[in-house]
Amino acid sequence: MKAKHIQHLYRRIGFGILPSELNKLSKKSKKEVVNNLFKSSKNITPLEVDTSEIKNIFSGSMMMNSKLDPETRRKIQKISRKKQIELNVAWVDRLTNSPEVLREKMTLFWANHFVCEDNSITYIQQFNNTLRKHAMGNFKDFVNAVSKEAAMTKYLNTKQNRKQKPNENFARELMELFTLGEGHYNEEDIKESAKAFTGYSHNLQGEFVFRKRQHDESEKTFFGKTGNFSGEDIVAIILEQKQCATYICGKIYRYFVNDAIDEKHVNAMANVFYKNYDIENLMRFVLTSDWFYDEKHIGTKIKSPIEFLVGIKTLVPTKFKNPKQLLYLQKLLGQTLLDPPNVAGWKGGRNWIDSNTIVLRLKLPSLLLNNAYISKVKQGQDDAQIEAKKEVFKKNFGKFYRTEVNWDYFNNQFKNVEMKEFQNHLLACEVNETAKQYLNALDKVSKQEYCIQLMSLPEYQMC
Amino acid sequence: MDRRKFLKQSSLASSLFMVPSFVRAFEQVASSKLGYKRLVIIQLSGGNDGLNTVIPFRNDLYYKERPTLSIAKNDIIKLNDEVGLHSSLEPLKKLYDKGYLSIINNVGYPNPVRSHFRSMDIWQTATDSNEFSQSGWVGRYLDNYGKQPYSAIEIDESLSLAMKGENTNAIATQNAKTFYNLSKDPYFKNIHNHQNDAHLSEHNLGYLYKSMIAAESSAKYIFETSKTVTSFQEYPNNKFGKQLKTTAQFINSGLQTKVFYTSLGGFDTHVNQLNTQKRLLGQYANGIEAFVQDLKDNDTFKDTLILTFSEFGRRVKQNASVGTDHGTANNVFVIGENLKTQGLYNDMASLSDLDDNGDLKFEIDFRTIYATVLDKWLEVDDKKVLNKSFNQLDFI
Repeated sequence: MKAKHIQHLYRRIGFGILPSELNKLSKKSKKEVVNNLFKSSKNITPLEVDTSEIKNIFSGSMMMNSKLDPETRRKIQKISRKKQIELNVAWVDRLTNSPEVLREKMTLFWANHFVCEDNSITYIQQFNNTLRKHAMGNFKDFVNAVSKEAAMTKYLNTKQNRKQKPNENFARELMELFTLGEGHYNEEDIKESAKAFTGYSHNLQGEFVFRKRQHDESEKTFFGKTGNFSGEDIVAIILEQKQCATYICGKIYRYFVNDAIDEKHVNAMANVFYKNYDIENLMRFVLTSDWFYDEKHIGTKIKSPIEFLVGIKTLVPTKFKNPKQLLYLQKLLGQTLLDPPNVAGWKGGRNWIDSNTIVLRLKLPSLLLNNAYISKVKQGQDDAQIEAKKEVFKKNFGKFYRTEVNWDYFNNQFKNVEMKEFQNHLLACEVNETAKQYLNALDKVSKQEYCIQLMSLPEYQMC
Repeated sequence: MDRRKFLKQSSLASSLFMVPSFVRAFEQVASSKLGYKRLVIIQLSGGNDGLNTVIPFRNDLYYKERPTLSIAKNDIIKLNDEVGLHSSLEPLKKLYDKGYLSIINNVGYPNPVRSHFRSMDIWQTATDSNEFSQSGWVGRYLDNYGKQPYSAIEIDESLSLAMKGENTNAIATQNAKTFYNLSKDPYFKNIHNHQNDAHLSEHNLGYLYKSMIAAESSAKYIFETSKTVTSFQEYPNNKFGKQLKTTAQFINSGLQTKVFYTSLGGFDTHVNQLNTQKRLLGQYANGIEAFVQDLKDNDTFKDTLILTFSEFGRRVKQNASVGTDHGTANNVFVIGENLKTQGLYNDMASLSDLDDNGDLKFEIDFRTIYATVLDKWLEVDDKKVLNKSFNQLDFI
């Protein structure tokens, strides 16, 4: 497979690829490379932080469904807040280091599709692992699993959805955001399907509980069918609509291929997906198709903040001495994992970029990895005072981010890579003419300094 | 390229001919201060207890539902025979006496949500409570009417959803100098020196370059404009005071910014509310007093409207921890020199006609306030920003 295509593939289904791995894969055929990808994502490794403290409290409270006293509840909330930070950091680590590359990238995708948040660490962790488990599985199972998650029944009020007093929040978002898209159902469909989800709830431990007494057993008419439908029946009827396959494929296309939809390709995807809603099949179709590697898709997407951050960490391993700084950065860049803006999720694409985020993105590689210093020494001169300059920068900016940076790892990875090859490895697109001329005029002090220069280009923001 | 050629190009680039036209537009901003109306939004995060802020001290139900949480009649700053302010709000009473304060009671929205995130989301996006939007109302104002990213500034380190549009986002900054320093590495200047804007707008990469140039230009403009004035006004030494001081500096320097956004948090008073709320309302009122004085000294108060809201009020009945739980409707403060309806805009909420949760039933939809401010103060088409038509109120 062509090196350029492997890089493109890995930038989209992961966070880039390092030279040695690229070398290995370029001897294989496209089919082998893609097969490999699915094989290495067969495993499901749950993401878990230690929540035994909370679980002990739960098992200590004798009655499983009794309400906790306010004191205990506050204690749990406090532990939860701390643990949410841990989970966030563990997730970023997972994205950086997992061998299950595709599964993890898809988990990240689904997290912005089935958007949910909860202040309970146990519920949100469980939700996160449900995303991971079904990320490449069957979409119908996926929707049903999500609809029964404790965090989701809380987030979209299915818990409060009772026969006597229906709450339509989940039913509405199920169709608007999770399966069909706006305009493909009517208010009556929402009312009727909400009845089918009455009784969905959970116990203290976060297991699904169906409260039969709160369930509305009456006949419901939904998309022209009438019957005593359950929540699962509703999901099945929704998935009978071809629009559901088209809607999901459109989202996958925008995430993995291009911001701008090509209807021909999305329809082809929907034809594959509609057969049995097998996500793995769909992805295999996308990643083996010729159009996925079309020149017009390569290096044309803007990295999400997480793609940007994890990309940096993959290249030059970076540890934050204070984990809160990693979350703070996510906030400044506009995407904090586990903390979506609302159920509509992050808009993505150009919406990631504004005056604040572009300035920070350009400056961040040097801030994190090089004491805020970007070498600007002209060719023919040497950067004699480089260390002194770095000290000055460190004094002015270094206090913001305290990181442990492993440049040895980078230097080792790029040991056999010549500097003239660097752009191909670090950047997904051609450098624009002005920047190219400027870069050529600069001295290539060292691999490290050159790497920082390239990472400080707007081109580095593309994938 | 050889070095000489490079130097030649970069010196050429500094001449005006090579600067993209939209950058020049940034630098040609008219400096007229007169009649330039500005809106300052203050968000009290956590759900301020409105009932202990504007207090119906003649209403027995108030004392009955809050046996240990109500404010004693003697401690209340009376506005009239029925209604008074929390004792921390003395500075607001002064504004009230001058006719600079309008209190809109019982503001909320249909089908209220009692989650902080969600309710704040609703206030910031101005949607119905069963709708979700990825853009905020100030952001959509920017999309339609903001000429530059700095047309709206949040005095914070990152942007609220309120300040994000479909296509344009506002700028977040607490410190103009820090933002400027971050943006001005010569490396960045050199990589875009010869861009022409036709080439820039089409693709995502062009969009990044365009955003980068606009950001540099905005950061420079904000810094260089705001440093021209120094404030002699003293502000309370807390985060909110600093935000207001920065806002005043931006306004008084003639920065062409229409909307400023600030916030004061900590109002989620489930437990031992009395002291916490007293402290926070004090911070709020003292900050406002300094801010208004600063603007008046610079003759900019007449063109500034200050809007204060919280995502919800709190339950009428106190809870078991001398606190209050999440409620619904709340009061909104409007401060300015040009108020049409001064003082209490409408009657206090009924404490006997409550909803199933024991919460107030709202009377005024908050979006009618937004619509009024957009139409009558910022003089734009409110329907374009709110995506819907709302009745307007009569306070300005």
